[in-house]
Amino acid sequence: MDSMQHVPIILVALPMVFAAITVLFRSKSGLQKALNIGVFAGLFVMSFSLLLDVWNNGIIVYEVGEWGKYGILLVADLLGAGMVVLSSLISLMAMIYATDYMDRKALDATFFPLFNLMAAGLNGIFLTGDIFNMFVFFEVLVLSSCGLIVLTGRGDHTKMADKLEAIFKYLILNMVSIILMLVAIASLYATVGTLNMADIAVKIAYLAETGTLPWHIHVIAMMLIVVFGYKAALFPLHFWLADVHPSAPAPIHAMLSGMVIKVGVYGILRVHYLIFHESMFMLQPVLILLSLVTITVGATSAVGQYDLKRLLAYSSVSQIGYVLLGVGMGTAYALTAAMVYLVNHAIAKSMLFLATGETLYHAGTKDIRKMGGLVQSAPFLSIIFLIGAMSIAGLPPTGGFFAKLVLFDAGLGAEYYIPIGIALVFAIFTLFYLFRTWLSIFWGEVKEHDKEDAFKTRNPTIAIKISLALLACVVIFLGIYPEPLIVLSSTIAEQLLDPQPYIAAVLERSVR
Amino acid sequence: MNHTLLSVSIALLFAIGTFMILRKDMIKVVIGLTILSHATNLLIVSAGAFLGWRTPIIINEGTGNSSGIIFTDDLANGILAPIIPEGTEVVFVDPLVQALTLTAIVISLATTAFLLILCYRVYQEHGTTDVSEIRRLKG
Repeated sequence: MDSMQHVPIILVALPMVFAAITVLFRSKSGLQKALNIGVFAGLFVMSFSLLLDVWNNGIIVYEVGEWGKYGILLVADLLGAGMVVLSSLISLMAMIYATDYMDRKALDATFFPLFNLMAAGLNGIFLTGDIFNMFVFFEVLVLSSCGLIVLTGRGDHTKMADKLEAIFKYLILNMVSIILMLVAIASLYATVGTLNMADIAVKIAYLAETGTLPWHIHVIAMMLIVVFGYKAALFPLHFWLADVHPSAPAPIHAMLSGMVIKVGVYGILRVHYLIFHESMFMLQPVLILLSLVTITVGATSAVGQYDLKRLLAYSSVSQIGYVLLGVGMGTAYALTAAMVYLVNHAIAKSMLFLATGETLYHAGTKDIRKMGGLVQSAPFLSIIFLIGAMSIAGLPPTGGFFAKLVLFDAGLGAEYYIPIGIALVFAIFTLFYLFRTWLSIFWGEVKEHDKEDAFKTRNPTIAIKISLALLACVVIFLGIYPEPLIVLSSTIAEQLLDPQPYIAAVLERSVR
Repeated sequence: MNHTLLSVSIALLFAIGTFMILRKDMIKVVIGLTILSHATNLLIVSAGAFLGWRTPIIINEGTGNSSGIIFTDDLANGILAPIIPEGTEVVFVDPLVQALTLTAIVISLATTAFLLILCYRVYQEHGTTDVSEIRRLKG
């Protein structure tokens, strides 16, 4: 128990320290790979033990500098610890995959430090209990992901000019959204005089109770919805995603689509369900409407795409709509569904993106129309891609089936018939575009016969196979035995709707 | 009066910044972002504004309801830094906002540097700084 106490800060500090240390070993490629895989495996084990500890012993609060609620707190509750486990799993797999996928030059020079910083940023966002600290980790995440997008991998057919253009869009829009977040934080601080999220929640609840809640609290809540909606690619703010995500190399694409867009969902779950209870009555209909538009726009855009990576990026837009639909409905069951959907989509989508990177390398093109019959030369990739597509489309026996089942069940239980109807129609779209893609890539005639010899040499290496197979096992496991995930998610949903334990754990601290 | 001036100047900075990030030149967009981030910094500082009577951290004589003897560094009595002597009560400006602003300034420095390098690289690759001509990716 005593050694467990420091795990939250280690989860943030260890990757930051290694971001600096790996720069020193840039000439020793093998050592660096082994070191980083070791670090990320360690992070995964630690985050898992943290989740178990939080599950058994309640919320763990770590005071950085022992200043109580006035200093920066790291709070590991079930939501935060669960998200850290998810991000550690995906980043471990992406790291194992990347050691063989990335170009040697990119790998030696900048990949490892930036990837470590990205992991630190993600863990920091999920564990911090301070809203300004969250802003700082957002910046760490954005800048490190910008540096990672320019790197090149072996299946990467994006030109450098396109990558720079994508990053320019991504960074400018991120800066604007982050300035908006800072304005919201400043207004919040000027209103309640604290930055600790639990403390803000107590004070705003008190203001609402006495009927003196200032009207601009609602405005702040909307501004933060815009910020997190931008991160999560909610409808009017989704346009950057289809440019930026496909420009990244496959492991980074998996991290961006798997975890980084989930940060927005986490922000809404954490900040809005904890602090802005009073504003949710008007934000929930907006969230439901926008998430339905997101589902529609993402799915219809994906149907018309022939660029494999762009198709999957639009699919991500559509799928994040389903998660936010659950978040918007806001009942305990719907939040459970949103969490289950989030976890399933994160794992299945990152697996699909990792498989896509290898497929593009194998095929030598990113146009679906030029591929065909790859099942003969790459049977392993075809199976992995099929499992991913089945999970995203929601077919048993994969985890995506239960995600969709629980979400639609929750929606029908809460009597949101029309939104669930729309979501169902576009779930069929998902099924259509993913299986059309799978069929045209892996079945049918072998196109470009002259390149067939090249196919034999471009095969996945053992590290890539291991990471893909492990992720596929997780996806199948979640489909066959979803009980633990659903129980965990429903506990998280209860904690979100009743944040008293969180507030009590944070505020009952002795100040030095 | 002070308050109004501060609010108006912050609003003006936001307006200028918003205007600038809608320009077509990349460098102007970056300048606009810098102005926006400085407007935000001012907004944060204004959360701990003087209001005409709150004491800033260093002042020789207090006004209003302050005691007048605080925040003086008095070498004769061995006080080196402007610290409130024990037993004095005074309404002072929130110093935390300045710490927040410092953090925000450092972050915006880093991002601005990154953005300028990025603009230069985009210029090298595309041969133009006009945003409307850089659209090979179709959103």
